[in-house]
Formats: sequence, C-alpha cells, structure tokens
Amino acid sequence: MIRIFGSILLAATVTFGAPSIDSLLKGLDDLYKQVSDIKAVVTLTQQKANQGAKKLEMMYYRRDSDQSFLIVITGPEAEKGNGYLRVGDNFWMYRKNTRTFQHINRDESIGGSDAHGDDFEGRLLTEMYEPARDDKGNELITEEMLGKIPVYRFEVKAKVNDVDYPKKVYWVRKDKTVMLKETSYSASGTLMQTAYFLTFTEIKKRLVPVKQLFVDEFEKGNKTIVEISGISIDKLDDQIFTKAYLENLSK
Amino acid sequence: MDFLFTISLRNLFRQRRRSILLGTAIMFGTAILVLANAFAHGISEVLFNEIVSYVAGHVSVSFTKGGNANNQIFHDGDRIRAIIKERVPSVKRVDEAIGVFARAIGNGKADNVVMVGMDPSGEGVDEKEMEKYAKAFTFINGSFDNLGDSTIENPVGLSVEKAKALNVKYGDVMRVRYTDIHGQTQAARLTVATIYKPSNVFMSVPIFFHVKTVRRLLGYGPHDVPQLYLIIDNPKRDAKRFADSLHAGLKPPLAVIDGDLSFRSETIATTLLCLRTDSASLACADSGLRLISQTANDSANRKKSVIVSSAFAAATGMKPGDTCSVAFEGKFDSSRATVRLIVTAIADTGAGIDGNVVLVNEKDFYKAFYDTWPKSTAAGTGPFRPDTTNGIYKALGGEWLLVPRSSTTKDMMKLYREIAQKGWRAIVVDVGSMYETASMVLNLEYALNLITFICVMLLFFIILIGVINTLRMTIRERTREIGTVRAIGMQRVDVRNSFLIETGLLALISAVVGTIVAFAAMWGLSRLTFKAGENPLGMLLVDGHLFFAPTAGAIVFFVVLIVGIAVVTAYFPARRAAKLSAADALRHFE
Repeated sequence: MIRIFGSILLAATVTFGAPSIDSLLKGLDDLYKQVSDIKAVVTLTQQKANQGAKKLEMMYYRRDSDQSFLIVITGPEAEKGNGYLRVGDNFWMYRKNTRTFQHINRDESIGGSDAHGDDFEGRLLTEMYEPARDDKGNELITEEMLGKIPVYRFEVKAKVNDVDYPKKVYWVRKDKTVMLKETSYSASGTLMQTAYFLTFTEIKKRLVPVKQLFVDEFEKGNKTIVEISGISIDKLDDQIFTKAYLENLSK
Repeated sequence: MDFLFTISLRNLFRQRRRSILLGTAIMFGTAILVLANAFAHGISEVLFNEIVSYVAGHVSVSFTKGGNANNQIFHDGDRIRAIIKERVPSVKRVDEAIGVFARAIGNGKADNVVMVGMDPSGEGVDEKEMEKYAKAFTFINGSFDNLGDSTIENPVGLSVEKAKALNVKYGDVMRVRYTDIHGQTQAARLTVATIYKPSNVFMSVPIFFHVKTVRRLLGYGPHDVPQLYLIIDNPKRDAKRFADSLHAGLKPPLAVIDGDLSFRSETIATTLLCLRTDSASLACADSGLRLISQTANDSANRKKSVIVSSAFAAATGMKPGDTCSVAFEGKFDSSRATVRLIVTAIADTGAGIDGNVVLVNEKDFYKAFYDTWPKSTAAGTGPFRPDTTNGIYKALGGEWLLVPRSSTTKDMMKLYREIAQKGWRAIVVDVGSMYETASMVLNLEYALNLITFICVMLLFFIILIGVINTLRMTIRERTREIGTVRAIGMQRVDVRNSFLIETGLLALISAVVGTIVAFAAMWGLSRLTFKAGENPLGMLLVDGHLFFAPTAGAIVFFVVLIVGIAVVTAYFPARRAAKLSAADALRHFE
C-alpha cells in the first residue's frame, strides 16, 4: 500500500520533451533503480478514524543486489525489537518476546501498519503497469498544474495481476521526473488511496522524498505519514542481512 | 452351577439393605461414567456436524497458490470436479469454500467482516439441510433467496449484530474493501438483501453472498475453483476412505507446454518442461545434466535456469544469454500465450533431454502455465516427451504438487508452514477429511473422557473398598454357614464362586440400573433450555439444549469393566472364605 521503496530512491535528473507514458514510467524506473545499498530511519505515523495516532519507528536496511532487506522496529515500546528480514525469496518475521523467526508472506503487514512486505520490494513500474488509453487508443496523459507546479497527469493500468491496485494516476513534474501525487483505484473505479510526496532532500544529486502522506480514500479519516531520515548510501556489511544480526539488534 | 447362582442370588436379597447401599454406590458411579461419556461424545458430534462440517467439509481439497494458504485457486476446475466424481461417486454435494477478510463501511460506521460465499438452494442441498439452515438463521428481513437476485447490486446477507455495527438496514447500500485472489485491493458496493438472527454466535461475523457473486468480486475465472468441500452421506464411515481415494486420484501428471519456439527468424515446435528448483531436484538435475556452458552458476541464478541440449542449441543457434519466445495454445476459450525465456545454460546431449525441449525453472514455468493453462498434456503427443526412467525425470515438475495426507491438525499446520517456507511455485494440492482437519475435536473428546474416567475410577476405588469391607463382614457373619455347606459336601471352589457370583450380580444389576438412570438424566437434562446469548459455549448446544450422544460400545465397555473390577476385588476375600476348614468354621462363635 505504501511504496516506501519508491519514496526512498525517487530521484530527479531526467527531463522529457514530448513524453509518452511508457517513457515517463521508464524514467521513474531508472530513478527508482537503486545504485547502492541504503540505510535509513523510517517513521510511520498512522491515524485511524476515531482513534489516536500510532507511531511506528524502524531502522531500514536494503540491498537490491540480492533482493535483501532488514527492518528492525525501534518504537513504540510494545513493538520494539521485532523485525523483518528478507533474503531472496525468503521472508521472515522476528518476534522479540518469543525469540522466534517465522516465515511469512510478502503481503504480511509490517508492525500492524498499512505497510506490507511487498511495499519494500523493488519491482519495476514498467513490469507492472502500462498506459491506459481512451476509446481512440490515445494515452491518457495531460499537462496541468498541481498547485503552482506544472505536471504531467497520466493514467496507467495493471498489466499483471499481482499488483496492489489495478489502476493508478500519477502526477509527475514536467521539469524533472519527480512524482508528486499518486491516486490508486480498484477495478470498479473506486478511489482507494491518494499519496502525496511532500518534502524532498538531495542525496548525491538525486531528489529523495523524505515526507509522504497516504490518505485512505475508502475509509475517511485514515491516513499515514511516512518520514525518512538518517539516509546513508554507504555499502552495507553482508552480515546485516542475517538472522543473527537481527537478533542482536533486537536485544 | 445353577444352585450356586441360586445361592448367590438368595444371599444377595437376604442382606437387602447392605446390597442396596452398595449397589447404589456402584449405580451412581456407572451413571456418571455413562452420562459424562455421552456428553463428551455429544460435544464432539455437535462440533463435527454443526461446525467442522461447515468450515471444513466432510472431505476438503485445498489448492494453495504461491505458498499463501489464503490464496486458494486451481485453474482447471472442471478436471478436479471430474476426478472427484470418479473417485467419490456418491458425493452429495461439492461446495466452493470462499472466505476473505474485508473492511466494510456502512452508514458512518466501519467494521471488519468476512466475506463468505454460499448457495443454500444449490444442487445436492436436501430437505434435512434446508431444515438445518432454517434452524440456524431466523430472518428479520428478506431471506437467502435474495442473494441470488440478479436485479440487486451485489446482494449481501448480514446478521442483526453486524447490521447494527455498520448502522445499515435492509435495502441499504454499503461498501467493502478487500484483497482479491490476485492480491489486488478492490472495493465494491453491496446491497443489504437480508438480515437474520443466527442461532450460532459465530455466524454473526461473516457476511454472506451467493457463491457466484463472491467468485466474481474476488476475480475467479470461469474455469477456476477455490478450495472445495465435499459433503457425503455418512462422513463417520466414509470421510477418511473417500479422502484417501481422492488423494490417490489427484496424483499430478507431468507438466508440459508444447508450443512454437521463435529465435531470430526460426520457428520450431518445442516442449517446455519444468525444472524444479528445490535443493533435492537441483541435486538430481546436477547428477543428470552435464552443463557445458552457462551464464552464471551462483545459487540465485540456478533458480532462474533455462537449459537446452547442445544439439538443440546447435540446431537453433542459441547460446547462453540469448532470448527466445515460445507461443502456445491455451486449454480454454481458444486462448494463446507467449512466454519469453533467457537461455542460461547448454547441457551435453545425451542427458535425457535430447530433442526439441527447454527445461525452464519453476518460477517462470509455472507463471506461464497458470496464467494460460496449456492445451498440451503429458499423455498427448508433442515435440518431446521425457523418458520416465531417466534420472532427470525426478527433477521435473507436475501440473500441481500433491502433498501427503496429514493425519492430525498439528501435522496439517506443520505442512502449511512448510508450504509457506519452501516457496513452491506449483499449486499445492492437499486432501483432508474432517477427522484430520479437526483432529483437535477428537482430542478434546478424548481428554474429556479421560478426565471423567479418572474421576470415576477414583470414585470406584472408594466404592470397592466398601465392597471388600462388605464381603469381609459377610464372610465373618456366614462363617458357620460356610462350615455347614462345606460339611455337607460343598467344594472350596464352589464356596469361592458363590461369593464371586454374588458380587458380580450386584455389580451387574447396579451397572444396568446406573445406565438406565444415566439415560433418564440425559432425557431430563436435554429437556432444559439454555439461553446462551453471545456466549461462545452456546455452540455446544443444539437448539438451546444439551446434546448427549451415548454409544452402545462405550456402555457395554463400562458395564463389563465395572463388573470385572468388582469381581476381581471380591476374589481375595472369597478365596479366604473358601480356604476355611469345615470344622473350624463350625466352631466359629461370636
């Protein structure tokens, strides 16, 4: 639901003249491609309708070369020490209380939040989505203003089944390929979620969104704010992506 | 023997008060034992017939895709139904079991629900089951007939409690968010077509759809089936046997995709086979295949293997790293599909794959296979069919993966953990009967019986002390009488037996009376009506009444056991009485 992956490495260096949707998707994919390992502190603040806010803090390590990532929850106290480790096709959940690892599915919730294991995967947009077209076969792309920023607004539909939403609309800056807004729809056309990419920071000439807002459009009043800090792209040690390391971190 | 029996019976009635008191104690113990056993068995029957058979069927066939037990789908449903018909010809009904968690929004209120498909008027639903439905649901508005009404937008049935939680009334529109069978988040508008009051508290949680509606909402195709529940006439007798037979019939054939391989300008008829990538299969492939060139050999890349023989590579000009495509015909609706493959290795010709064949890693193979179920079968003719005696054959994947039958719930849970862990790409097919799926119910019955048995045996221990004491007193009182009968020629063994028969008769009469009392108590208790409300213990009641299920076997066992214990206990005092000499006994005076 929450594409934390995208938020971490959404950078901006490419400009297009007369872009097709495919080229915009490919541009986003190129920018999504991780060029190095990454370590960051991720904070999810989840607001449920008629409930208080729940804040989940975690350390996030990721290495795309072998599709590995490690998440250790650092707050709140009840969740502290729990973690998730993915190495290749294996995905484990670690529970500090029982000191046990359990195999889980990629669609499992992370720390009871709206984020799932597959949100941390690095799948290419061009593998998942293709341009949506009108009756005449024209791509559904327009130029418009998002606030004061000129953007391309374009619609895509899923070309494979295993995606979160079958239809999405993106708002991407015209001057550089930065996604500013994303809406997700169900097959019946119901607006399910709106994502806003609010704040960016530049790391090694890439613009990385460090604050995002996900609004649940289905159940009004639910929203999640994702904040990323302490980003480091130094090479990560191999031993980080091991059960032993996760256990040690949890102590 | 007859005179011994007469003497024992006369003695029994001669000391009437003592016999009645002792007999009452034995009767009481027997009654408790029979009553408790019937209650434990009744709970088990209720759980099986009223709950387990609904949530797991008498026999179930599950199809786990992608290692996720919630993802139940098989893409060639007609074939599975044909196998069921062949293996279980007397099956009453085959229900499609669909249930997914969802978030529902009513009028300003939201709640979690479980979307469940049902077809209460479907083929095979007999009058007895209709009666059961009628007892289980009291309709406040509408009825389940409305769920099949095509003029209503996604008709749904809710319990009174759920309607209250969502603040919706009959005819209102509510919305629901759920994850479909492909993992996509979907939303739908539902119309409240019936509201009911369920007799069972657990029926308050699900919201019911016609199975056709929920199939459409969840994205099942016309040839797909979800988990299947088989309803049979006599589950107690046949469930395990039918499950075994069905399991044998579901042995998967080798998976093959016959198609046209295109590489550069060449097109050649080719067969794709699945190379399984678990460690055992990889080891098998390693010992059978001699790779002569490959792109990489690390473990990650081995799971992406696409291998051709050197002869086929030479004929087509392919080398590791080249991309080819294979177009093939689907089984359903004249479909066609194309799969792109990157060749990773060339194997030496003579390894059992000499011909127009490509060995494809299971991830890519099953993706293509399940996306468009191919028309070709291993039994049919094609560009290549492997030699079943070749070592590499064991590393080839079937159309699905059939797992061994689990014998208990614990085994089954272990199996599902393993399925999630191993990341098998083939659809995992599992067959179970209600007695394995819910073996914990049998364990519960066993535990209840054991607890009762131990308690009653403790009670009997006390009673039997009474038996021994009574016999000692009787022997003492009858010492002179024993001397008399011994003096006129009665043998020692007859003296002993007369006491044993007396005790045995007392225990038998008491046990029989105890059984009658237990039946009377069952009759009385089952007349009482309990209003369980939302108490989960209500599920143990049938129409608000306690349910007892006594079994003849158990009753006979208890009676024989009680008589046996009483006779064994009486043996030692009786033997002592028999050992008295006639002269000593006649001299006895108190």
